[in-house]
Amino acid sequence: MSDSPLLRTVDLRKYFPVRKGLSLLSKTAQKYVRAVDGISITIPEGKTLGVVGESGCGKTTLALTIAMLTPPTGGEVYFDGKRIDSGRVDHKSVYREMQVVFQDPDSSLDPHMTIGESIGEPLSGLLGYGGAEVRTALEESLVAVGMPAGFANRLPRQLSGGQKQRAAIARAISLHPKLVILDEPTSALDASVQAQILKLLVELQRKFQLSYLLITHNIAVAKYLSDTLAVMYAGKIVERGPTLSVIQRPRHPYTIALINSAPVPDPWKRNLLQMEIRGEVPSAINPPPGCRFNPRCPYAEGVCSVEDPPLLEIEASREAACHFVDKTAVQVKSE
Amino acid sequence: MGRNREAKIGAVIVAVFLLTAIVVGIATALGITVTPYGPVQTDTGPKLAPPSLSHLFGTDLLGRDVFSRIIVATPNDVSVGVGVVAFALVVGLIIGSIAALKGGLLDELLMRFTDVVFALPALVIAMVIAVALGPGVTNMMIALMIIWWPPHARLARGEALKVSHQNYIRSARLAGMGTWKIIFRHVIPNIFVIMLVYATLDVGTVILVYAGLSYLGLSVKPPAPDWGEMVSAFQDYLITAPWLPIVPGLIISIGVIGFSLLGDGIRDALEAG
Amino acid sequence: MSELLEIKTLTVRYRTKDGFVTALDSVSLGIGENEMLALVGESGCGKTTLGLSIVSLLPPASSEVVNGSVTYKGTNLLMLEEKRKKAYRGTEIAMIFQEPLTCLNPVYRVGDQMAEAIMVKRARKEGRGQMHGTVMQRVYDRRAAVDTRFLRRGHGLPAQLRDEIVEWLTLVRIGDPEQVLNRYPFELSGGMTQRVMIAMALSEEPSLLIADEPTTALDVTTQAQVLKLMAELMKRVNTSILLITHDLAVASQVADRVMVMYAGELAEVGEVHQLFAEPLHPYTKGLLRCIPTGTKDDSELAPIPGSIPDLRQLPLGCNFAPRCPYVFERCRSDRPHLFPREGGREVACFLYDE
Repeated sequence: MSDSPLLRTVDLRKYFPVRKGLSLLSKTAQKYVRAVDGISITIPEGKTLGVVGESGCGKTTLALTIAMLTPPTGGEVYFDGKRIDSGRVDHKSVYREMQVVFQDPDSSLDPHMTIGESIGEPLSGLLGYGGAEVRTALEESLVAVGMPAGFANRLPRQLSGGQKQRAAIARAISLHPKLVILDEPTSALDASVQAQILKLLVELQRKFQLSYLLITHNIAVAKYLSDTLAVMYAGKIVERGPTLSVIQRPRHPYTIALINSAPVPDPWKRNLLQMEIRGEVPSAINPPPGCRFNPRCPYAEGVCSVEDPPLLEIEASREAACHFVDKTAVQVKSE
Repeated sequence: MGRNREAKIGAVIVAVFLLTAIVVGIATALGITVTPYGPVQTDTGPKLAPPSLSHLFGTDLLGRDVFSRIIVATPNDVSVGVGVVAFALVVGLIIGSIAALKGGLLDELLMRFTDVVFALPALVIAMVIAVALGPGVTNMMIALMIIWWPPHARLARGEALKVSHQNYIRSARLAGMGTWKIIFRHVIPNIFVIMLVYATLDVGTVILVYAGLSYLGLSVKPPAPDWGEMVSAFQDYLITAPWLPIVPGLIISIGVIGFSLLGDGIRDALEAG
Repeated sequence: MSELLEIKTLTVRYRTKDGFVTALDSVSLGIGENEMLALVGESGCGKTTLGLSIVSLLPPASSEVVNGSVTYKGTNLLMLEEKRKKAYRGTEIAMIFQEPLTCLNPVYRVGDQMAEAIMVKRARKEGRGQMHGTVMQRVYDRRAAVDTRFLRRGHGLPAQLRDEIVEWLTLVRIGDPEQVLNRYPFELSGGMTQRVMIAMALSEEPSLLIADEPTTALDVTTQAQVLKLMAELMKRVNTSILLITHDLAVASQVADRVMVMYAGELAEVGEVHQLFAEPLHPYTKGLLRCIPTGTKDDSELAPIPGSIPDLRQLPLGCNFAPRCPYVFERCRSDRPHLFPREGGREVACFLYDE
């Protein structure tokens, strides 16, 4: 096991240009949606980094950019020691060690192909496996995700949501990659199915020494799966640290609001009814000046609307991007 | 269900037309006559005779059996209809898929090219071809092939764009597949059926346009039979011998309706299934 | 407590190409005044069907109420003719859905749509005109038989109406209500549109609000805001809320009572604290154990084995028997009905049949 992290991004940025008006001669400056605006993360081998945030915070774009499915606007991505953000990278060699499981089980599998064919795609495409080798590896993967080998001949429409998601996971792990990016892997599933998939993901991680980059809006799922938690807001990371530490003692005002909003199945702890948060997620094209959370922050003061606070270490292995993070030191969320 | 019955009627009509076209085509190639009388055979009976048992659609002014002429002319319209649409389907699929998947400048160029071709008027092109290459069924088919594909390309591009946003396309990239392979393995199979429905519905329109070109004399030269040409030749007899212009017109209409019903039927079957 | 709404042995089935599928099987429940009742279940359990049955918004061609009654304030709604059913929809019983944008007419401004809702209420109160549904119901788009001249261009809202609308929008915590009044639905965010929907629903002062997964499509923080709002408004406007959700945790946070549904039947009913402290039905227990609360290192997620049954092929005895860790002989041959327990609790499980 090497010392350097498996995945590392440095000031990663992804901006989407907003279409200009009809006039080509328009003088207004090009506007951008700053979906990912300076993200630096690391994932060690065999560990899970959970990135939590709400819609529009850029977490899915982050996943797609790291997976080389969309070129970054700036910054660097290092995978297994090598840079992978330039156009000249050998995608195939990277994909042999990095795979993605998407959110929507319906759109993850080609409706015209059997799941055996879908799972076999990376095996033949990246490892050059022939028919017999594909069949063996395919069976192995199906068994590993708890599906009968006979399911290989089924079409997606013959499977339930949970089964389709298992097939998608089988495809991702069939090559025994080092990193699996999980983009909201259970959001579209029922509670009982979600539990099965989460348990499966933990088992697979232990069995195959996988690293996970988990993208989710669900705090409970993030808490269950992640070793480290990073909270994303409007394209930036606003807090990061060991999962339990961040959840039990959130320091950034947004993290506090987020954790307090997450419904806990406990009628004696109705935190939902006690929390106060104003406003909505900001416009991605015209983020508020200074700290992006400042219009909604109960602790905001002058400097907050002028200067964007950097992500700084506030105690051992805990980081937060807030000018007044000491104000939240007293907020201890009891468990 | 009403819709189901209509689709079956459409399927029957199309089957009859296709079979007739194929049989006549083979027969002509082999030099056999399958019709009661030869298509150009004159004086098979009294001139301008109304429909009767021996002459199902009557005879024309030269005593030719109209029924035989109609049958023998079938391959013309059917082959042009099917041929042009098949060509448009394939070209449309390829151009549309590439534009959608590659995006950027290539997409712009392909779509602007599509727009230009779309703007070309069918009639003018047909006349130009008729002058350059001469009239005839094949040349008219060529003329129509040149200008018929743009709507198919647009449809293909739209559907391919929808497909391209699906996660299984991203998964294919993650499996090391290049754009071309993705187009052929994932995009085309998933948009093919919609394209086929549109194509089937389109055959009728092509037949109508071709019949129009043939009516204008751009297709076959008499005495070779062709439905559109027959309508043109006999339009003066509308009062005196109405079966002469009406029958070919009716046959054309039935053909168009048949393909339309079939296309609707396929689409409805898809939506239900 | 006098029941506001009482459903007795309601059985609803859908017509599919494979035959009939029973979506609700002899469901009985009651909602009291001023209470928030959460109806919890996974997909296909019938909770949405139940909600739609109350307001008679089931798709007429493919659904059939086989049996049962829905008694609201003493009247069986199912026995009414369509015209009279309409009198209740929106005015006595309102409903909001998961995707608020599909419930608002995109070509009318928010303020105008709210005004329509308010005028319907007034007309009903004054006993005027014929009652038609308002735009908030998906199936409905007929206008109230009231004065809607202002909806034509050029006319603004009459001042009094405008004030009332602003009042409602403020009540649902919409900042800058004057602005929002003039906006079109697509200009608003998901959270705001849902709040507008709540305002419209409550402006008619219904006694019962049915909320079908109202926050499922919203962000976590927005969900918290909307749920909190609903809980507060309930008291102020004197409405009961039937909250339909798949999320037990959400139910625990806001509901007074909880009903758990499984495959078309009620599994368990109980007051929220009691149910969570001591879940009785094996399915409820299983569902609670499914919710991740700890980390992978310190907690064991115990998923329920198997999967939700296909409603077209339900097992002979108890629907949950194939997956139940406590199953015994009787479970496979007989169907349990709701057995009453103390404190108003009910469980449909033979473990509790004395």
